[in-house]
Amino acid sequence: MLVKNMSSPFGGLARTRVLVGLRLLESSFPRELSRVLAVPVSAVSRALAGLERDALVAGRLVGRTRVYTLNPGYFARPELSAYLLRLAEADAELRARTAQLRRRPRRTGKPL
Amino acid sequence: MKLSATSTLPEVAIAVGAQLRRHGITAVLTGGACVSVYTDGSYVSKDADFVIQGRVRQDDLDDALAELGFVRTGDRYVHSDVEFYLEFPPGPLAIGSDLAIRPAEVAIAGDVALALSATDSCRDRLAAFFHWRDRQSLQLAVAVARHQTVDLEAIRKWSRSEGNLDDYNEFLREVRRSD
Repeated sequence: MLVKNMSSPFGGLARTRVLVGLRLLESSFPRELSRVLAVPVSAVSRALAGLERDALVAGRLVGRTRVYTLNPGYFARPELSAYLLRLAEADAELRARTAQLRRRPRRTGKPL
Repeated sequence: MKLSATSTLPEVAIAVGAQLRRHGITAVLTGGACVSVYTDGSYVSKDADFVIQGRVRQDDLDDALAELGFVRTGDRYVHSDVEFYLEFPPGPLAIGSDLAIRPAEVAIAGDVALALSATDSCRDRLAAFFHWRDRQSLQLAVAVARHQTVDLEAIRKWSRSEGNLDDYNEFLREVRRSD
């Protein structure tokens, strides 16, 4: 078990990290979040399910993948977003991991 | 009101809201079931969403709904004879960033329940259109505006405050087209 090295104001470290990760990535899915956050995918899925029940995140199917974002309909979305960005400022490792993630398009057939 | 397989969604939703009121539970009908109420059932959702106001014990909610025949299964309440289920999404009652929601009283077959007003039901669906680009939600907002008198100026002001004035104008064009 890791020593707790950051605050978890959203109820648990996985919940908080998932929210911060979603804020940085805008949208993501459990496996990607698991890789970026270095949290087991089962813990990410549990966190997402709880956050969805709390209406903090929203998920929708894209193909066969459930893609999550911060819930745009949440009444305090702008404030939540600003707070999560502030938390992200305190997590240089997470910011570095998300910065390494390639999101821009890659032409079909172009070698990786 | 006795619920049965032939009960419509508006009948079920209002009967549930009225039952909760009788048990001292304040719950406001929102979402697609609200649209169904305001369009005389022309839109049918699979569920009725209620946002509870204040603190309510789970046992009290279970007991109140059990009297109508609803049983809690996971996050929802189901009825052996009724095809619609009930959900209680977390509050607060809000539309976009607007928390100043004043519920309306809606009556069906002698039952009276709290629901979003027609104007707020319209805004509720528009919020889904704004946030998710969901065209069905736009059409539902248009349907409410066609069936009911809604405060278009209030909707315009709110849309502007949400940063979606262009989307409001599209909604208005659709309403006028369907007049």
